Amino acid sequence: MRAIAAAVACLILLASPAAAAPEDIANDISNEIMSPFCDGVTLHDCPSQEALELRNRIEAWVSEGQSRTQIMSHLEREFGAGIRAVPPAEGAGFVAWIPPLVALAAGAAGAWAIVRKWSRRTQAAPRVSVTMTSEEGHRLDQELAMLRAAASREGEWP
Amino acid sequence: MPLEVQGQSLNPLGLGSLAGLGRPSLLTALAFAAAGAVLCLLGARKARRDLSDAGIRASVAAAAFTVFATFCLLTAFFAHDFSIAYVASYSSRSLTGAYTFSALWGGMEGSLLLWALLLTVLGAIALRRASSAPRDLVAWAGAVFSSISCFFLFLLAVPADPFARLATAPADGQGLNPLLQSPGMLIHPPLLYLGFVGFSIPFAFGVAALLSKRLDDEWLRATRRWTLLAWSSLSIGIVLGGAWAYTELGWGGYWAWDPVENASFMPWLTATAFLHSIVIQEKRRMLKVWNLSLILLTYVLAVFGTFLTRSGILSSIHTFSEGDVGKYFLPYLALVLIAGIALIATRRDALSSENRLDSLLSRESAFIANNVLFLAAAFTVLWGTVYPIVNEWLTGLRLSVGPPFFNRAFIPIGLAIIALTGLGPLISWRRMRAAGLLRLLRVPLAIAVVVVAALGLGGVDSFGALLAFGLCAFTATAVGSEFVRGSRVHRRREALSWPAALSRTVARNRRRYGGYVVHLGVVLIVIGFAGGWAKVERSRELDPGESMRIGAYALSYEELRSSETPEKQVNDAAIRVTRGSEPVTMLHPQRNFHLASRQTQSEVAIRTTPLEDLYVVVTAVDADSAIVLRAFVNPLTWWIWAGASVMLGGMGVLMSGPSPVTVPVPAPRRLSHAAAS
Repeated sequence: MRAIAAAVACLILLASPAAAAPEDIANDISNEIMSPFCDGVTLHDCPSQEALELRNRIEAWVSEGQSRTQIMSHLEREFGAGIRAVPPAEGAGFVAWIPPLVALAAGAAGAWAIVRKWSRRTQAAPRVSVTMTSEEGHRLDQELAMLRAAASREGEWP
Repeated sequence: MPLEVQGQSLNPLGLGSLAGLGRPSLLTALAFAAAGAVLCLLGARKARRDLSDAGIRASVAAAAFTVFATFCLLTAFFAHDFSIAYVASYSSRSLTGAYTFSALWGGMEGSLLLWALLLTVLGAIALRRASSAPRDLVAWAGAVFSSISCFFLFLLAVPADPFARLATAPADGQGLNPLLQSPGMLIHPPLLYLGFVGFSIPFAFGVAALLSKRLDDEWLRATRRWTLLAWSSLSIGIVLGGAWAYTELGWGGYWAWDPVENASFMPWLTATAFLHSIVIQEKRRMLKVWNLSLILLTYVLAVFGTFLTRSGILSSIHTFSEGDVGKYFLPYLALVLIAGIALIATRRDALSSENRLDSLLSRESAFIANNVLFLAAAFTVLWGTVYPIVNEWLTGLRLSVGPPFFNRAFIPIGLAIIALTGLGPLISWRRMRAAGLLRLLRVPLAIAVVVVAALGLGGVDSFGALLAFGLCAFTATAVGSEFVRGSRVHRRREALSWPAALSRTVARNRRRYGGYVVHLGVVLIVIGFAGGWAKVERSRELDPGESMRIGAYALSYEELRSSETPEKQVNDAAIRVTRGSEPVTMLHPQRNFHLASRQTQSEVAIRTTPLEDLYVVVTAVDADSAIVLRAFVNPLTWWIWAGASVMLGGMGVLMSGPSPVTVPVPAPRRLSHAAAS
């Protein structure tokens, strides 16, 4: 098991992203902002002529050597904070990220508590258990199915 | 195809417009639904079978009148009765026959009519077919179902009348939105609505179980096939929606986390949790409160999705029409939610589990973890969808939540679900030893590592993609090994060949193996999603004779052919595709102008293979025949549609399985260690 984990870790470390072309960076940025010209879609997905022109402007900024942060600032100044497709992880935007994490954590904690409670009660009771391998499970299913079929023919089983 | 003869329109229905009968028919349906609700309620309360039977007959009559009202609207479409505002808004004389039919659900009023049609018809069938269920349960279900029908028929009678007339009929209609003129749109909306409406059946029977205090598994048995039908329809509807977006919208993708997409996805997630957790109730008589809560939540989310998309409070590229029906949905949703929660709370004691968990490491625990993940996923999508409204309401600041948020928040949960999909089948019911599980995990984990290593060395440099492919390999192996183990037992006992043993294995337990086939379909779909890591996109302005490169392909723009049909002006670009010196194919993306709606629309061209799609779209055309060509290479997208087909096959196997029988729960006995190992 340790060998498997080590192999996965090495592969992850070896994997490094290649340098991207300006058009690819511009596409990435247009995937991170909402279109000011279409309702509810990113700039990348907006089919309008204005969106095409804005994508070209972003590509030109990338070719001029502007960073992503500079380009996002340009866009935010021009179109407002709502152009970001991802709420910033600060201020009011930070609130967007909290509830899903809290829900997952609370759900997991709640489920864990219930499972523990239920299994403790069982442990307090006389121990009964069934431990089967998957293959034995199949065999049991098969035999139960045969039993049901036989019982059903005799009218004993619904 | 509608025909014109000396100004008179003929239609395939062979009738003129019957729109005049539509509204009276809807009002009659509403009256029958109301009568059905009252009669079933009285029949249930007074234990009078004659009253509840009359109520169910009234719900059948409501269905018949809703069918007739829908037929009336169809005759208006095919007769080009533009005095009907809805017909004038969503069709035109040049619209072809199939799309004249699908124009029925092109706008809000027609969509609601389709909803009411499916609701009343499915409800009537479900109530009539539930003959083996206890009568009081069916009577209460009839009361709930007819009440739901009343709400939707009321919407059609008051705020969303599809038969409203214009003061002056125009000579021609405005036509159907060109985006909706796609083969996928002929079946995608009805399938989605079938899914949404289908969940009304387990919901109605679940509420009936609470009202009648029949809190055993009868309501689950009576609705099992309906739940599967609804879930399957919604699943296929969602995939077809993705296929429609991919082939029609021209941005090279299939899922945009748009509010309307999210509206269909949220009930799918909770319904999937429900489908899994009812297995625990059937097998172990546990999670009764949870299952009732889940079906309540699924129904509420299905209606909430309609509210979101029809109220106009969220902007969406899919919102083709909106009206003022939204204000009717909120009180209805509040009523359903509050009444549902109150009912569950009052029956809480009677809903306690009849069994307890034997071990933390058991199939039951895996199902509970599955439910937590699906619920967290549904909440994440819900929160992301409504967050802009909540934030604007609280702070006055308009922030957006787009695909990057959903991808970052949802994908980790989705991958955890995939891992659990592989892990779950390996864990036995009630109790399992960790050593036994580790032994079963060895092969799937080893294959996952080999796949990750091969892909990593082969150039896959995205951690997310490697993780996704690794988990897919793990889950496919784990699920596949279940087929092998099952077949091996039949092969040994009955001396069968492997194919015969596999066939016998699936046939003997269609529910389990149908489920596994669905899981394998999901794995294929995730492989298709993971292929997105290597997506390439290029956009160039090209004159005839020029070419561009994308990935290993060269795209040569040869010429633009212009022509005109009764519906549109067509600009067809001929693109020759080569790979190295090898010719590959000719692609013909179009940029068309639709005459009735005065809209320009791109038609994409795709060369699809299991390895990758080459996807081209013309986003602009100028007078000199120069075009802006946007091209994408989308790796592995084919597997999404293949996976959906496998899922569909699995759903068929699942639905063909027998309903669960009532098995008396025997006193548990311990198997000896020797027998177990």
